[in-house]
Amino acid sequence: MRVAFVGKGGAGKSSLAGTFVRLLAGTGERVLALDSDPMPGLAFSLGVAQSDAGLPDDAVEAYDDEDGRTRYRLRAGLSGTDAVEQYAVRTAEGAYFLQLGKANGPTWSNTRQHFGFQRVLDDLPGDGWSIVGDLPGGTRQPFLTWGRYAQTFLVVVEPTAASLLTGRRLARLAQGAGAPRVLAVANKVREPGDVEQVAARSGLQVIGSVPFDPAQGEADRHGHALLDHDPHAVTVTAVRSLIDALRREKEPA
Amino acid sequence: MKIAVVGKGGSGKTTTSAVLARTFARAGASTLALDCDSNPNLGISLGLGEAATEHLVAVRDAVDAGEQEHASSPDDLVERFGADAPDGVRLSVVTAIQNPQPGCP
Repeated sequence: MRVAFVGKGGAGKSSLAGTFVRLLAGTGERVLALDSDPMPGLAFSLGVAQSDAGLPDDAVEAYDDEDGRTRYRLRAGLSGTDAVEQYAVRTAEGAYFLQLGKANGPTWSNTRQHFGFQRVLDDLPGDGWSIVGDLPGGTRQPFLTWGRYAQTFLVVVEPTAASLLTGRRLARLAQGAGAPRVLAVANKVREPGDVEQVAARSGLQVIGSVPFDPAQGEADRHGHALLDHDPHAVTVTAVRSLIDALRREKEPA
Repeated sequence: MKIAVVGKGGSGKTTTSAVLARTFARAGASTLALDCDSNPNLGISLGLGEAATEHLVAVRDAVDAGEQEHASSPDDLVERFGADAPDGVRLSVVTAIQNPQPGCP
């Protein structure tokens, strides 16, 4: 499957995506986890030691296009799949983890890594791979740019006004972007009516529901991945159900 | 006094900004709240309501669609891309970029 997690900042994209990746890899699938947030958080929930798993500078080369503008591409001979094989970090379950790459130095000039990462997205490994993306928070066009490899977008929605509003905006943006499949995952659910609320007010089909989970807060506080902190947390059970539900749904061609 | 509130997603930037803005306004200061988030929600935390918050995004979208001109001056921004929120706070949405290119933070 090819999925991308989107939603408001703080809704729980990285936390759920990391657990999702590890559980999916644990079922024997070959999984590539892509963190395209310039402020990376996926490493924490994946439980990998390094928080910076980006492309090294020498994987990307600059060139001038016809109009003399500087562009970037993967260095000659390096395919997107090669980049994944060579530079991705492995999780304990064997999933591959590649990150957009943090800005180095005080000037926040990560243009090179940004475009290099985009070139990898143009040339991702195909058959036999599941791809799970953790996208930047908010509504920065996820459908045409950051998550364009995804067949299914999972909007993580809390039952709060701002989070629901973001869900609605994303649903509307999707309509203008070729109407990819967009489903909601209700997160931090506290009351029986919360899931219905998310469905009604986001206008999205809810494919998964994750209860409010104090174990997640504890794991975050200690800087541990939830799966390492408490493998029996209710969130873990809920994410497992989400994977099952997605497998039952036929992915669009 | 000019304050910018920054931090990780979900850490409480918008809530903090809204409470600061209304607190200053209640103390008698003329207060302008600028929502610089590409996914602007400050209106909700200020108590402006969902419909009015959404309307400000629609105004911004009209610029992207070419139906509205960009703000020609700071005053024009506050006027056309703003709304009056409770306690006399003026809210303006500075940006809501829908289609940024890679490299746009």
